[in-house]
Amino acid sequence: MPEIVSTVLFLLVNGLIWGLIISLIALGLTLIFGVMGIVNMAHGDIYMAGAVLSFYVVTILGSFWLSLVLIPAIIILIAAPMERFVLRPYEGYHSSTMIATVGISFIIEQIALGTYGGIPKKIMNPWPMSFNFLGVDYPGYRVLIAGISILILIGLWVFLYKTSYGILVRASMQDREMASAMGIDVNKVLITTFVMGSVLAAVGGVLAAPINQVFYLMGNDVILLCFIVVIVGGLGSLKGTLIAALSLCSLEGMMASVLSPTQARAAIFVIMVIVLMRRPQGLFTE
Amino acid sequence: MNMLIEKGTEKGSTVTYFAIVFLLLLLVLGMVLPKGARSLVIQMMIFSVLAMGYDLSLGFTNQCSLGHSVFFGAGAYGAIFSIMYLKVGLLPSLFFSFAAGFFLAVITGLISVRLSEAYFVIVTAIFFAIFHLLAMDLTWLTGGDDGLSIQLPALSLGFGKLSLYNPLVNYYFVLAFLALSYLVLNRIVKSPLGKIFISIRENQKRIQFLGYNVYRYKLIAFILSGMFSGLSGGLYALTLRYGSADFFSFHWSIMPVVWCLIGGLGTLAGPWIGAVIMSLFQYYVSAWWTYYLILFGIIILLILRISRKGIMGYIMGRRLA
Repeated sequence: MPEIVSTVLFLLVNGLIWGLIISLIALGLTLIFGVMGIVNMAHGDIYMAGAVLSFYVVTILGSFWLSLVLIPAIIILIAAPMERFVLRPYEGYHSSTMIATVGISFIIEQIALGTYGGIPKKIMNPWPMSFNFLGVDYPGYRVLIAGISILILIGLWVFLYKTSYGILVRASMQDREMASAMGIDVNKVLITTFVMGSVLAAVGGVLAAPINQVFYLMGNDVILLCFIVVIVGGLGSLKGTLIAALSLCSLEGMMASVLSPTQARAAIFVIMVIVLMRRPQGLFTE
Repeated sequence: MNMLIEKGTEKGSTVTYFAIVFLLLLLVLGMVLPKGARSLVIQMMIFSVLAMGYDLSLGFTNQCSLGHSVFFGAGAYGAIFSIMYLKVGLLPSLFFSFAAGFFLAVITGLISVRLSEAYFVIVTAIFFAIFHLLAMDLTWLTGGDDGLSIQLPALSLGFGKLSLYNPLVNYYFVLAFLALSYLVLNRIVKSPLGKIFISIRENQKRIQFLGYNVYRYKLIAFILSGMFSGLSGGLYALTLRYGSADFFSFHWSIMPVVWCLIGGLGTLAGPWIGAVIMSLFQYYVSAWWTYYLILFGIIILLILRISRKGIMGYIMGRRLA
């Protein structure tokens, strides 16, 4: 009996940690939607780009920790021009912008396929330590991921709710026209939000790289999970996204003990459909 | 007001002339084309059915769906299963693919159509992803990546039997369904129902104030769109005599969007041009460059940048000016 309990606990903790990574990515998605009104279909590919770039940084420079610092910088350099020069012209036509992000997603995927190759590769564990946790050896790196993700989440909260620039972002999320009428430079906010959302996704990719295989299509699986998360939590609701990410991922993790991964994903999908029927705007939106 | 109506009818007639010329051209081409080119044209015609179906969703009621691969795949498997297990003929099997498209469009439509624009895109994309996952996973049913091959029964018409294994018969079989779909859809679009679709696209709020049940009409458009996508999937499976989980892949969700955008949204026959151009593009460029999907992404960005009206919209705009 205790063995079963510890297995379930193990899976639960695994799911929660995966949920923390997913919540970073999904929060990026929700932020971008909240301010720009579009669903970024290329979000999963930015996550993949983070993981692939981290693979290169680890193999060339030999340090995983360096990649945690370097990759946000690289992503800022990619995402800012992408918003300004590629996406900005479509502003105002939501479906056009969403299809445009599908185009961007094709481009990123193919560039990764062309440069990185189509074979999944693994990054070595950057922190080979393990904790004894209820009789099970628990890999230390996963605990570390949880710590880093929580730190980033706290940082995001402080930025959005405690700084004056965060107020500008939240004001634009509530009512962009009004925000612009009050003299907020909405264009600047747009770039900041898009960059911030992309950096969140890429950092998620960096953190997930050592526990997942790095593959040029790895973003597709994650974007699906993120979509389900934002639908359940409510698109544009930061609190809802966080809660939905943690609960859905731990639920999926636990279900994986009895079901196959696809069945577990289908079960999560059924939950989403039920939520959609009862509350089409998500569980946590006012 | 009178001006508007006149303009409207003239607009319609440009497309109708184009469609008639295009169909007649296909009728002649079938006899003169060499074998390789003929099979490419068959594919273009099947894609045109899918493109018309999709146009009903994005072009007429402004529902930007990324889930049409579900209907396409369901239509293909509808035809395959009915031939494999029920041993029905060719025409009934296409009825089954029609029905499969209808059934799935009702289910997904009831859930997704009432949602706002962004939610609709996400939810239809989730539908695509889940159905693709399931199709890959349930190999005992769908054959997974390897797929299922079928033996086609003969097509029995009143005067005799024809075999779809003959490429010429295949060509005219598909052409007949393209023409039939165009006639049916054109009739629907020109009817009062079609006018309601267009007014939903133009101003959803106003049509709601006029007392129309917007949700119901959007759902009707979505279901019709799903049915014709299913038919296209069935035709594709019959032509290839094969179906696999690949029929549920994202390719079949994004291609209709591109065809419609290139050809012209809301023109029904315009997307045919898009299907032709993109098929040629894929046929030649994919042989020339492995990473041609980069160009594909750039094309998507460019079309959206240049014009949302597409080629047909551009021609019609010129004639009116």
